[in-house]
Amino acid sequence: MNSKRNRFSLWNQQQKIAPYLFIAPFYILFIVFMGYPLISSLVMSFYEMRGFQSRIFVGISNFTDLFRDPIFWKSLWNTTYFALGTLILQLPIALLLAILLNSKFVKGKNFLRLAFFAPVLVAGVFVAIIFNLIFDQRAGLINNEFILFGKEIGWLSEGKYVMPAVILTGVWQWAGFNMIYFLAGLQGIRQELYEAAAVDGANWWQSFVHITLPSLRPVIAFVVVVSMIGSFQLFDLPYILTNGGEPADAGSTIVMYLYKNGFQFMRLGYAATIGWVLFIIIAIISIVQLKLLGIFREE
Amino acid sequence: MRIPYDVENFPLGKGPMVMLVLFLISCFFIFAPAEEKGESIEFWIFANTHYEEYQARVPIFEAQHPEVNVQLINYGGTMHDKLLTALLSDFGAPDVVEVEITSIGRFLKGAIDEVGFVDLRPRLENEGWMDKLVVSRFTPWSYRGKIFGIPHDLHPVVLLYRDDLFKAAGVEMTEIETWDDFIAAGKKVSRDLDGDGEIDQYAIVLDNKTESDYFNLLLQRGGGFFDVDGNVVIDDDIAIETLAFFTSLFNEHEIATPVYGTWHGDPSNFAAMQDGKILSVLAPDWYVGILKSQVPQMAGKWKAIGMPAWEVGGRRTTTRGGTMIGITKQCKNPDLAWELLKFAYFDKAGLINRYETTRIIPPLKDAWDAPIYKEPDAYLGGQPLGDLFIRLAPDLPPRYQNPYWSEAADLLNDAIFNAVTEKQTPRQALTELAEKVRSIIAKDQERWGEGIIDEFKTE
Repeated sequence: MNSKRNRFSLWNQQQKIAPYLFIAPFYILFIVFMGYPLISSLVMSFYEMRGFQSRIFVGISNFTDLFRDPIFWKSLWNTTYFALGTLILQLPIALLLAILLNSKFVKGKNFLRLAFFAPVLVAGVFVAIIFNLIFDQRAGLINNEFILFGKEIGWLSEGKYVMPAVILTGVWQWAGFNMIYFLAGLQGIRQELYEAAAVDGANWWQSFVHITLPSLRPVIAFVVVVSMIGSFQLFDLPYILTNGGEPADAGSTIVMYLYKNGFQFMRLGYAATIGWVLFIIIAIISIVQLKLLGIFREE
Repeated sequence: MRIPYDVENFPLGKGPMVMLVLFLISCFFIFAPAEEKGESIEFWIFANTHYEEYQARVPIFEAQHPEVNVQLINYGGTMHDKLLTALLSDFGAPDVVEVEITSIGRFLKGAIDEVGFVDLRPRLENEGWMDKLVVSRFTPWSYRGKIFGIPHDLHPVVLLYRDDLFKAAGVEMTEIETWDDFIAAGKKVSRDLDGDGEIDQYAIVLDNKTESDYFNLLLQRGGGFFDVDGNVVIDDDIAIETLAFFTSLFNEHEIATPVYGTWHGDPSNFAAMQDGKILSVLAPDWYVGILKSQVPQMAGKWKAIGMPAWEVGGRRTTTRGGTMIGITKQCKNPDLAWELLKFAYFDKAGLINRYETTRIIPPLKDAWDAPIYKEPDAYLGGQPLGDLFIRLAPDLPPRYQNPYWSEAADLLNDAIFNAVTEKQTPRQALTELAEKVRSIIAKDQERWGEGIIDEFKTE
């Protein structure tokens, strides 16, 4: 009698249980493929491998080694340089393209939108191979067509030009993609605001500063944060473009250094440490950006 | 057919139901047992040319062993990472695998018993293969007395040069014997072509950003990064003198140009060759194969000689690159895998076919008398290239393998670039490099406890 009542009540409970069962696949996959690796990589960062089957507890020495590792600092600087390049060069270009494509006097908008967006559909490896040819010091398109500053620039053979070359490639590949976000944001701004401003005698620049930019704030915040996270995870483009960071680590990035340590040097503990330090850096930068852009502000 | 359930009233609607159905279907495919046909050997490959060769050759092996099904998988450049993961997780590794020479080091880290490959020395010795192969080619695949792979190749290096352009400058390259001779000849041909005051035709192209060409010279001279006992020797006199010589070719003598693009196989480098800006290159056998397929229009313009020696009568070659084939410890039937290894690497018909497509000379000495290696090569204006490689092969320098090769090579690249661009003297660059690598090894030894030093013997 008792068991029958239990079964009956379980049957009654199914409406309540069902939703959890349906979201269970996600959580199971999340725990298996995200949660467990996350925890075990944190544990791993306090160990170092000794060959394939044993590991040794090393305390925090992976972290202290990392802060004294000149290649890590160089990679961190290169990555930051790329992120700044994205922020200062790529996103303004994306915004400018969006404004142009949103204006009334541009013809063939659909074609242009596709053309600017298309580079993001090309895999990073192919982009790197193409730009390798473009940046070549003596046979490349850029140095052959425009002799800048009166001399051939060793885009990929002189340390100081390597990251600028990577940033320019990044602009080509990603500006059109970010343009789509800005375009969507621009199209969401109510036209009456501009009309009202025009009636009040505002010029183009005043409407841009006082209407367009404030209205775009959520979109800008999203694009900036996502681009920064993407920039700090930069890997395949410079890896192919600079043949693994050459010359002399001028093209090395944090994720490239993580990959080298984990897969080429079999230092999984050190690689896990780099991964966690990168995670912390990205988290801090994202929170600061969101605060600066006023996303946490109560409206 | 009517679905015996009210779709509209399915908890949370149609979307979750579709997801549930897809989930159940994919579960079925994931867990469904694969069809088994007798014995199966999984064989991983990273090089496209090898994959094409085995695709054509494996059916012959399967015909000889009707119960066997060989699964060829070409993972390209990511294969070594996949293999590393499979060996680390003790699950999912292939039975047979080819490994590249710069990648093998990382697989040798830790205790010798934990290395993921089967020791092939007993099989090689019992069946008498050791005497039939070039013994120095086992050094890259050996570690602490065990042999983890059979060498695929010898990869002897020759000096490939533009016969037409050297002759035009009055240089007979076949008379070159030493590097001093080469520098004298190089100065005659390195010149300004367009009158802008800068040299644009160079006697030789060398890679100043990676270890490749410097290491060619160092091995030729009998040096190396590690010695047979695993000691770091990159700061000894031979290494420093060789780097000083290497940088002098660029800076003092101005007869060498840095490689165009990222490496010798870049299209921009081929373009420079066609424009007559590059007159020679240190070419392993496989590089000749690449040139033939990538710039066939240059046929007849090239000739080859042995590398210039460090002194009269000295070694005229070095070795660059390489591949091994090995059996992993996850292999269920090593005897059968061994048969496949022998078929892939020791079968004469296969080796001849390999030379035809890739110009690669095998380490199996018995195979060298095949007439194909003496045939004139049209790409080299009728010179029998195989014959030159085979004459150089017995003199190949050993290249000792070490678990720290990847770290060492990464830092060596920087040292070479700094020396060539005169940011550091060769002595400074190499002394600093040696200290860094020694401290990496010392740190591991300290962590791993005692006894590691003794375990580092290769032979």
